[in-house]
Amino acid sequence: MEEIKIEVPVEPPKELETLFLPIPKDYVEDTYRKDDFLILVGPQHPGSGHMRLIVRVKGDIIQEVIPDPGYVHRSMEKLAENRLYIQNIPLVERPAIMDSANFNLGYVRAIESAMDIEVPERAKFLRTILAELCRIGTHLYDAAILAVFIGHTTGFMYPFGIRELICEALARMTGARFTSSFIIPGGVRRDVEEKTLRWVYDATFAIEKRLKSFERIFIKNPTTIARLRDVGVLSKEEAIRFGVVGPFLRASGVEYDTRIVEPYEAYEEVTWDIVTADEGDGYARFLVRVNEVSQSLGIIRQCITSMPEGRYVSEQICDDVKGNFFDKFGNLVLPAGEYTTLTEAARGTLLFTIVSDGESNVPYRVRIVTPGWLYLRGFMESLKGERLADLQAIYGSFGYFPPEADR
Amino acid sequence: MKVEKISRSPIAELKRHVDVIQEAFKQALIPDRVTVEYPRERRIYPDNLRGFIVLDRSKCISCFRCAQICPANAIQMSLYDNFYPGVDYTKCIFCHFCVDSCPTGALASSNLHDMAFRSLEEMKVKATQMTRLPTIVREDKQSVEYFVTKKDWKLQRKKELEDISVLRIIPRIKPRRAFCEEPESCLGCRQCMEVCPHDAIVMERCEITLGGEVIGKGCILKVTEKCVGCGLCVRQCPMQILALKEVE
Amino acid sequence: MIDEILATLMNVFRSNSMQIPLIQPIVDYLMQIPLINILVALILWRPFFAVVIMPGLAVLLLYLLYIVWFERKLTARIQWRVGPLEVARPIRGAIQALADGLRYFFQEAIVHRDAHRPYFVQLPILAFIPILLPIAFIPAGNAVGIKTPYAIQLIVAFLALIPITIIAIGWASNNRFAFVGSVREALMYVAYEIPFIIAVISMIYLYGSGDPYVAVEKQSLVPGAILNPIAFLVFLITMLMATSRLPFEIPEADQEIAFGPFVEYSGMLFGLVMVLAYEKLYIMTLLFVILFLGGWNGFYFEPLGDLNAPLCLFIKTVVVISIIAIVRSMYARYRIDQTLRYSFSWLIAFSMVALGIGVVLGWIL
Repeated sequence: MEEIKIEVPVEPPKELETLFLPIPKDYVEDTYRKDDFLILVGPQHPGSGHMRLIVRVKGDIIQEVIPDPGYVHRSMEKLAENRLYIQNIPLVERPAIMDSANFNLGYVRAIESAMDIEVPERAKFLRTILAELCRIGTHLYDAAILAVFIGHTTGFMYPFGIRELICEALARMTGARFTSSFIIPGGVRRDVEEKTLRWVYDATFAIEKRLKSFERIFIKNPTTIARLRDVGVLSKEEAIRFGVVGPFLRASGVEYDTRIVEPYEAYEEVTWDIVTADEGDGYARFLVRVNEVSQSLGIIRQCITSMPEGRYVSEQICDDVKGNFFDKFGNLVLPAGEYTTLTEAARGTLLFTIVSDGESNVPYRVRIVTPGWLYLRGFMESLKGERLADLQAIYGSFGYFPPEADR
Repeated sequence: MKVEKISRSPIAELKRHVDVIQEAFKQALIPDRVTVEYPRERRIYPDNLRGFIVLDRSKCISCFRCAQICPANAIQMSLYDNFYPGVDYTKCIFCHFCVDSCPTGALASSNLHDMAFRSLEEMKVKATQMTRLPTIVREDKQSVEYFVTKKDWKLQRKKELEDISVLRIIPRIKPRRAFCEEPESCLGCRQCMEVCPHDAIVMERCEITLGGEVIGKGCILKVTEKCVGCGLCVRQCPMQILALKEVE
Repeated sequence: MIDEILATLMNVFRSNSMQIPLIQPIVDYLMQIPLINILVALILWRPFFAVVIMPGLAVLLLYLLYIVWFERKLTARIQWRVGPLEVARPIRGAIQALADGLRYFFQEAIVHRDAHRPYFVQLPILAFIPILLPIAFIPAGNAVGIKTPYAIQLIVAFLALIPITIIAIGWASNNRFAFVGSVREALMYVAYEIPFIIAVISMIYLYGSGDPYVAVEKQSLVPGAILNPIAFLVFLITMLMATSRLPFEIPEADQEIAFGPFVEYSGMLFGLVMVLAYEKLYIMTLLFVILFLGGWNGFYFEPLGDLNAPLCLFIKTVVVISIIAIVRSMYARYRIDQTLRYSFSWLIAFSMVALGIGVVLGWIL
């Protein structure tokens, strides 16, 4: 069909200049001259989260998306410089509250590598269980947000219902539904009873049972497949080039998982598979996470059945945390140097770097690189060439969580 | 492990449609309800779930450990006959670092998890109000517990109500007292004396000897029987010559 | 003079009155009171009864109160929740819709600066005209507003007017999302209207007439749904599209375009535009029941007399809508291009097959 050109003089809207958009000066005029259209999605849009997306569309097709993140920036790194090492634990959990154990684990492992603390086996297994429970919780949370983004309200309620079991398991083990600050340098804060572990073991089966309902009504729903398949495709090369991490990288066919590459805690002692997919589209990204949930349930069961007896906190620290917490952790001073750990958080690779000057009891610098920040570029690239209605579907398929990316 | 491929054939599509419709009608007929009608029903949470913090004044030794470890800076010590902690619930994040730090078990968690205050002022709970559980309005008629088997997850509703009580765990720490490890390094700055809430540290005049020969007069610090082992002086000492030691 | 007019009116009303033996003693008693009797006679006058009482306006309001509550309750049941409960707890929150309506009524209706004020305010009210016009032609046994052998065609024609008001609402709102919503509504309109009309025509061929009485009479043994199941299916799907229910909730997609054409409405005006789709659903389901489920064929109780047919039609309609309400909790939203593709390929093909079946069966019967 031949394109008909109609010369209609269009004035670029003036109010865009006052919005402090992160775009070049003549971008708006250029867009309007080329017959494109700028749509600002967010930060008060029902389908944008706490960020603004500057979408340049030609008709219904997205040409380019420029993200404007930072609406929930809380300066975690600067705050961490003014607190005791132990007081930073509740702080570093906050970027992604559902994923708190993984964030906690990354930070604590950096301290442990600085102080050469050998963590007892039982504590390692307990930490692995916590990390995997949080991973399941995050994946369920993201699935729920994906569901509501494409208009499936039942798909929103079911994961949040199932997540209640995860929260209950975390509550029984740690004493808080999430952000439990349970992992401390040298181990965990309290021993977990055999009875509680049996409960968590049974709960994994109950979760699996409920997930079957969820699978029938949302995961294998024809409308879900229609909305997610073949949209937002990132090929293997693109995914690597744009630095996508975690399940989204694996959905493009790259077998990379920090738990395998640099094993930590008890991941070497349990058997599990890296879940990958070839398509790299929205549905593959969703399915990879769905399959990771069942892998995580498997890891939890193996951890509980092969849970070793012994101490829950390293003898280098203390015998019993209760009552000694301040005396043992209140005045931690790390030897001078830079300590970095890589952790596989639910949404991807998480990097913690602590720089210590060796004298003060607060860190000199804490660097947090969250997975959300790493895959933002890939997310923006995958939107190109899709329809405007797919924006929310791709957003949900990435499970982008602005507080995590903005820190 | 690769994720399974989803078939694109119309028959598979139709089967998935049938699955969805089946599941929806099944749930409509026999729903797997999981919600709790909150004020009328109360969830029974595990014992260790962190709740309102209660203070036992007789056990508190005014050691300031809770106030100093608090990551949210929510604990303020106020002076009565001694210094006692008060928690500001506008700031508290329920990490219970304070409860774990308390060496005598004076701070304890309770199973009161749902707190509502009338004003912001009331949320700053004073030390006098922390010694007992606050009076609450209970609307619950029954309690709900999560019952999990390998088959399914069900909500068990029971008529008997949960008591709201304090769950005090006494740490296995023997009473301690401060003592001076290197009296000869003492500067005599008397910061330990000033910081001691119990007036347990006194300075005594003494003669300074060197090689059996008296070379002058000075002071020496002495920890008296009044010491409760709070360790404030240990943290204050600029020379770090004080330490806590267990006593019989 | 006035007496004569009243007497003439009375005669007109009494000559074509609903005969309900159950309330006959009360009617007889009220008939003795002057002025009240003319009101009672008016209410019982068949055209008036059909349009204003049943299956017309009065039960339409009753249905609206019921369906908003029922839909939320059913969705909650499927989603492991309880749903509205706190308004009138003993009856499980059944007057929730009434409470919401009252709240809308007293809320400020904001008309923003950029809106085309006259159209913005009057269009939600004008939208009722194409909703109410079909009711005049929908018969329920003896109760009928305007009796015509072209009733089904007329209902379809009036239904086709509703999207125009919605598009006009989107235009009057002068909002980017409202504009996108109205364009989507226009595209959807083209997509569902053709298969919908072909499905209706296939049934008209099958019954040999556009007269609801003929259609209902021919279904006395076998309902139309079994005679022409493909037309049944096409009608059902186009009904979901026409009332923008969930797999096709494209014009109003709240996550994408924030309730589409109705984004700027608030207060009572929002209440009016919100129930628009429910009212459209009611009219379409009435037509659906007449065409496929045997209309007012059903029970007959002696004491109800003429009320049997309207009551039966209403109950069937409400049951059908209650079953359709489950779709909301089953599906996600399709994209607009997918919907158009399905509709112009599969739906039109199916409706053509239905037309073939209709022609063949109509020739045999």
